[in-house]
Amino acid sequence: METASSAAPLKRSLAQPPSSSDASGDSTLIDIQNLDFYYGAKQALFDINLRIPDKRVTAFIGPSGCGKSTLLRCLNRMNDLIDGTAVKRGTIKVRGVDIYGRTVDPIELRKRVGMVFQKSNPFPKSIYENITYGLRIQGVNNKTRLDEVVEKSLRGAALWDEVKDRLHESGLGLSGGQQQRLCIARTIAVEPEIILMDEPCSALDPIATAKVEELIHELKKQFTIIIVTHSMQQAARCSDRTAFFYMGKLIEFDETRNIFMNPKNPQTEAYVSGRFG
Amino acid sequence: MDSSSTHLFAARPGPARRAESAVAWIFRIATYLILACGLFVFADIIWKGAPTVLRSFALTESFPYVTNTFLFEAPETLHVFTYEGEKRELGDTAYRAFREAEIAKAAAAGQPAPRFTPTSYVYAAGGIWPCIVGTVLLVVGSMFIALSLGVASAIYLSEYARDTAFVRFIRLAILNLAGVPSIVFGLFGFAMFVLFFKWNVSLLAGWFTLAFMVLPVVITASEEALKSVPKGFREGSLALGATKWQTIRKNVLPYALPGILTSSILGIARVAGETAPIMFTAAYVVRDKLPWEVEKVGDFFFQGVMALPYHIYVVSSKIPQNDYTQRVQYGTAFVFLGIVALIAASSIILRNKLRGRYKW
Amino acid sequence: MKRFFDSELETFRSDLLRMGEVAVRQVRDALQALVTGDVKLAERVIAADDELDELEKRIDTEAIRYMNLRSPIATELRLVIVGMKASHDLERVGDEATNIAKRALRLAAEPPLKPYVDIPRMAGIAVEMLRDALECFLHADNAKAVAVVKRDKEVDALNKQLYRELSSYMVEQPGTISRALELMFISKGIERIADHATNIAEEMVFLSDAQDIRHDESLKKGDKAL
Repeated sequence: METASSAAPLKRSLAQPPSSSDASGDSTLIDIQNLDFYYGAKQALFDINLRIPDKRVTAFIGPSGCGKSTLLRCLNRMNDLIDGTAVKRGTIKVRGVDIYGRTVDPIELRKRVGMVFQKSNPFPKSIYENITYGLRIQGVNNKTRLDEVVEKSLRGAALWDEVKDRLHESGLGLSGGQQQRLCIARTIAVEPEIILMDEPCSALDPIATAKVEELIHELKKQFTIIIVTHSMQQAARCSDRTAFFYMGKLIEFDETRNIFMNPKNPQTEAYVSGRFG
Repeated sequence: MDSSSTHLFAARPGPARRAESAVAWIFRIATYLILACGLFVFADIIWKGAPTVLRSFALTESFPYVTNTFLFEAPETLHVFTYEGEKRELGDTAYRAFREAEIAKAAAAGQPAPRFTPTSYVYAAGGIWPCIVGTVLLVVGSMFIALSLGVASAIYLSEYARDTAFVRFIRLAILNLAGVPSIVFGLFGFAMFVLFFKWNVSLLAGWFTLAFMVLPVVITASEEALKSVPKGFREGSLALGATKWQTIRKNVLPYALPGILTSSILGIARVAGETAPIMFTAAYVVRDKLPWEVEKVGDFFFQGVMALPYHIYVVSSKIPQNDYTQRVQYGTAFVFLGIVALIAASSIILRNKLRGRYKW
Repeated sequence: MKRFFDSELETFRSDLLRMGEVAVRQVRDALQALVTGDVKLAERVIAADDELDELEKRIDTEAIRYMNLRSPIATELRLVIVGMKASHDLERVGDEATNIAKRALRLAAEPPLKPYVDIPRMAGIAVEMLRDALECFLHADNAKAVAVVKRDKEVDALNKQLYRELSSYMVEQPGTISRALELMFISKGIERIADHATNIAEEMVFLSDAQDIRHDESLKKGDKAL
């Protein structure tokens, strides 16, 4: 089992056939190779090969049950929490390190790979406590530092102006969209490198959705974002790359505009044009 | 045909329609019947028990200016006798003092000593203070043990243990334990704590026996309470790099606490009311010392105590019955109800306070 | 609320305006070259047509990308569609201007057939129509757009008049046939430019309130107002 410690970003290897328009020279941050994933005896992912670029938004699309959320949850090992799940073959490397390696602590991994969930889940604590939660569990208790992080994260999540006067009120008093942005702020407060978003807008109204999309556009300057979405428009609007999954297999991965304009695979075309799903 | 019966949504008579109102009435009657029975029992206890408690109020000269014989004194034997043509009812202590005084008075006056021919009734005088103290001690101690063990095991079962056949078996076993008769727990406690651990009849043995009796309820209910905390709280916390225990301690347990307390309210009522588990393990028929009157601190845990339910059991079935003992029976039952209500009320208040603080 | 891709629409709009400006300039310069016999100017007009072609391609690419990725609706959808159509019209205007410039080059080598009076007048109207149509794009002025549509008749009339005039030249003096033909084509070109301006004006009405006023004769006769 490989537990490489090389932290150098893996450059796109020439041996790998580059996808047609993927010549932008982005460095690969996450390298998934030959991944097979099982829920108990049921195979959920089949031989996934995917290179996710650094500081870009990558969208996973596909019909329900196609494995896109499963793959997302593999990336910060949230699947570990479900009994009977296992990576039976293949590797996922983040910055060259196999995250399923024996010496990898999932706790440390999750500090670097944050996650925003489908249902906004602010803790029933104050806005301030929500943001500082991640730092406090890491043992940071310095008030000045926490204050700084709270402001920085809330500004980063475009929420500061809306909540700066009620930082000590419950996070549950916010609207749905604000709650989801609070969750994003909470995630960026621990300064991860990658943010996974599992259908972050599926419970939001269009305006709140637009705000979150706006935010994603801002965040990609600092973070690598992977977003699972059921909304094709959302994938088209927000992402730079799009991966289409069907029945646990990666059907097509390309620049977003190619996926939506000129998909190579007829299944992709059928899905993005709404003819099945 | 008038217009009200011709429109589209007019009622149509039929078997379903008739059954509907009949069934509603059956349910209603059943409910009110239960309520009436309950009210009758409570009213009976209050009607007969309240005078015993209320009559024994007396004024004192120092703080708190009022005292209650029934609540704050130990049980005594009641002596009923006729003296100088007057019928008197005195507790043992008062009777002895009275007799001494009368005999001394007669001796001073050079008269022959008066004769006393009292009829005596055990436990019919004095109060139930040691029983109250004992019951409170038993409840507090056993709930402490039950909650710490129960919550720990609930956390293990619902958060840590994998969902294997063995864990499901454990869960089923715990659930079944809740249905075991309390006398079985009493015998188990007697065999295990009193004999095997050689704790004798003691508070400690009573605590553990009662704790084991309510543990199934506490574990099951705590597990439910933990499960009712949204999955998102755990995922959100874990996704920020928290460990499992950090997640549970900071983000799950606080929100499960109101639910756990709700379950423990049920447990408290049961612990306070059980006679069978304590009669072999912790309860004394009579004990003249209060629990804190011990020589060594260690002795505290190894002494038997009096307890309300056991006292009721003794006065209502182990001694000859008459009007005087009946007063004590009902009085004790009344106080007992009051205490259970008090404990339940304070738990509910605490729970609501917590629920207000940790709302989601 | 502003969205991160709003700037893309801004670029799109300004590209379209830029194209309009270039097209107007091309027509004016081509006419100037014809009237003054300025060969250099004519050559410059021919060379500058590439800019219009490039802009048309860019607008089309942007429009397709925008429709593909941003799922535009309502005003945005109309803007993108109208942008594609108007850019095509403007590109055709540019082609006509190039054509005129080429003929101006050939005519410059020969003595003028007659003083240029009607052709500059016609071109003046066509350029004004084009300008007004673009003005409608800036200010969503429907009344002005209808005026543009109506003015198309003036240009048509002038074109017919020139046609008759040049025909008589050709009949009377066969030596003028080649020059007269050039002028006839130039006149026809100007008439086509005015048609494109009309199209653009109609498209602008569609852009501002989704009304299709094409082939509406009552509007042209002035029986109906918008």
